[in-house]
Amino acid sequence: MQPILKIDLTTGKTEEYKIPEEWERAFLGGASLAARLLYPALTKELDPFSPESPLMFINGPLTGTSGPTVGRFAVCGKGPATGLWAESHCGGFWGPELRFAGYDGLWITGKAEAPVYLWIEDGRFEVRPAAQLWGKDTYETQELIKQEIGQKGIHVACVGPAAENGILFAGIYCDHGRTAGRTGLGAVMASKNLKAIAVHGMNKPPLVHADLYAGSRSESNRTLKQDNEARILHELGTAGVANYAEYLGSMPAKYYHQGGFEMVDKVSGSNMVDTILVGQSACHACVIACGRVVKLEDGNKRKGPEYETIVSFGPNLLIDDLVEITRLGELCDRYGMDTISAGNTIGLVFHLFELGKINLQDTGGLELKWGDAVAVRQLVRMTARREGIGEWIAQGSRRLGKHFGAEEEAVQVNGLEVACHDPRGVSGMALSYATSPRGACHNQSDYFFVDFGHTYPELGIEYFSRQADAEKSANVAKHQDWRTVYNAMVMCIFGNVAPQLQVDLINAACGYDWTIEEMMKCGERGWNMKRAVNNRMGLTAGNDKLPKALLEPLTTGGTEGYVPDIQGMLYTYYEARSWDEKTGYPTKEKLSTLGLDDVAKDLWGETMDD
Amino acid sequence: MVTVFPLQEWLKSLEEKLNSDVRYNEIAKNWEGDLVFEILPEGNLKEPLTMYLDLWHGKCRGVEYAPDLSGRSKPTFILRSPYNNFTAILQGKLDPMTAMMTSKLKVEGSLGYMMRNVPTVLDFVRCCREITTNIA
Repeated sequence: MQPILKIDLTTGKTEEYKIPEEWERAFLGGASLAARLLYPALTKELDPFSPESPLMFINGPLTGTSGPTVGRFAVCGKGPATGLWAESHCGGFWGPELRFAGYDGLWITGKAEAPVYLWIEDGRFEVRPAAQLWGKDTYETQELIKQEIGQKGIHVACVGPAAENGILFAGIYCDHGRTAGRTGLGAVMASKNLKAIAVHGMNKPPLVHADLYAGSRSESNRTLKQDNEARILHELGTAGVANYAEYLGSMPAKYYHQGGFEMVDKVSGSNMVDTILVGQSACHACVIACGRVVKLEDGNKRKGPEYETIVSFGPNLLIDDLVEITRLGELCDRYGMDTISAGNTIGLVFHLFELGKINLQDTGGLELKWGDAVAVRQLVRMTARREGIGEWIAQGSRRLGKHFGAEEEAVQVNGLEVACHDPRGVSGMALSYATSPRGACHNQSDYFFVDFGHTYPELGIEYFSRQADAEKSANVAKHQDWRTVYNAMVMCIFGNVAPQLQVDLINAACGYDWTIEEMMKCGERGWNMKRAVNNRMGLTAGNDKLPKALLEPLTTGGTEGYVPDIQGMLYTYYEARSWDEKTGYPTKEKLSTLGLDDVAKDLWGETMDD
Repeated sequence: MVTVFPLQEWLKSLEEKLNSDVRYNEIAKNWEGDLVFEILPEGNLKEPLTMYLDLWHGKCRGVEYAPDLSGRSKPTFILRSPYNNFTAILQGKLDPMTAMMTSKLKVEGSLGYMMRNVPTVLDFVRCCREITTNIA
């Protein structure tokens, strides 16, 4: 991979950091490599908003090529809501453009005296004033910077007012609605007075065996185009699975307290096609094009919502109007806040209002009736400005719940709000959420696809009943390892590429001679590395749990009263992982077999030599 | 009555079932689209086999066993898969939605229409399973 540009915003100093070859080979790139690089800096005491807090943008070895769904980058650091490892992935064109500019990462520390943005072009670097951009929304910011620089082909990653106001689930946005939405790293970026990063470059992405890569890339894209899942994503967008998810009970409704959502047809990807869809959009070189382009009554084309936004602001709040959901999604994108965490936390407000734990005085007189999109819009605005109850929504569901004496009602894990795949319908998600390194995340392991029946025999990932328990734990662990490879590559999880082809792509790009087993080992190493980062920041076995709501049976809908046996699942999961059940740490032996002896020594101290 | 898949009697039984099953009639009342099974040789099936079903508003308006489809307008859906996948679906070993989403069952036609009519698809398969007493 190319160098990482280290930038200290306090001093203005920069340095090209060459990634140690052995770490590149061990971790591949992306979030895994970032975890290795940031390990020493991420301590329990570190304030995510302090100048010392690192923020890393990082590519993978395939980024910017025409490979399958590899136009992505990752952002990593310490999460302000979780106090744990934070990573967020983003599509669009920004990651490839950074690569074309000669860098495969930015390692940002310090804090600028006043708002700035960075301008990087073909190895040149400039810090520019951004006071005039402070307060602008994410769409305006991108356009204004492009106008100011005045060149074609520029891509801008930026934060919005939500990040400037320190909202703990503020994200980083680029390319008209592509988001690194989760874990609040936008707020970390804004805490450094860094409004945006503009990039442009003309270099070709480095590939060790370009000819071999071209063959594997063509084969991957050809098979991907014919894949039924990819066709559904292209035709209907990510919300194409809404009907099926609702049928299985894996689509949450009424803040995870209602089984099924009768009006699912109205919020489905199919209905979007029939009503407001006018086109598709794609990330760099992607043959799927799952992005939606919709037109509302004002006649303007705009980004259409994807599954998570639709469910978070739709069934989760009992809203069945796609136009309203589109507007709410756009409002969040413009403010620069994650739609999953925003929708989830607002869902908690409605839920607590219903329980009588939040009253009209708390809401500033706003009556909260499920399905009322106008009230939701008001809450989003109050959140962005941190007004009234928005001050508490801005801090995420865990803190909001605690403030109102009902922390246990918050549907979150370790401070990150649960995504829209209910483990009572697809039980593998119970472990995905409970053990994810960044809190309740569906992208560290989108195991719901396996629970739908998508197996990978080449990887030993077999099918278990969608409501099986402890017997599927080892399967989930393998899936996590595999997705960790995706997040290292940095490749979209919709790139449904045969594992051998995936290895061929890596080998051709990097000049390796990996087998599938070695690729999976790389994933396992990355997963354990992130675990170790979290252990270092105070995470223990006690953190591996699910919120109360997900352990209560629903009397209606596709879950049919099932709740996952999370304790049983964790027991066999720890066995499969070789993690110590008392501490929650990977065992010394496990870390050693993964080549992480220094980490083992750090976590386990002198006992390493016993 | 013994109905053996994939014999002609099986298809005729399915037609009768689809027209008499009240639950299917209701769930599929909005379905519009004819359907072809293209069963590829595998295991006990030595030659390709095609079955045609004209499905419309919760009823089956007609079936054809091993029809010659050349020169006719293309059916709304063609479901293509090796024989063993079809039998696995009929035996309940393979979920039909899983088969579609994982490309074990190739679909020509709008996958979007299938995805928005999940209950109809699943109830159609229920009817198929209920009339199947044996697999050839």
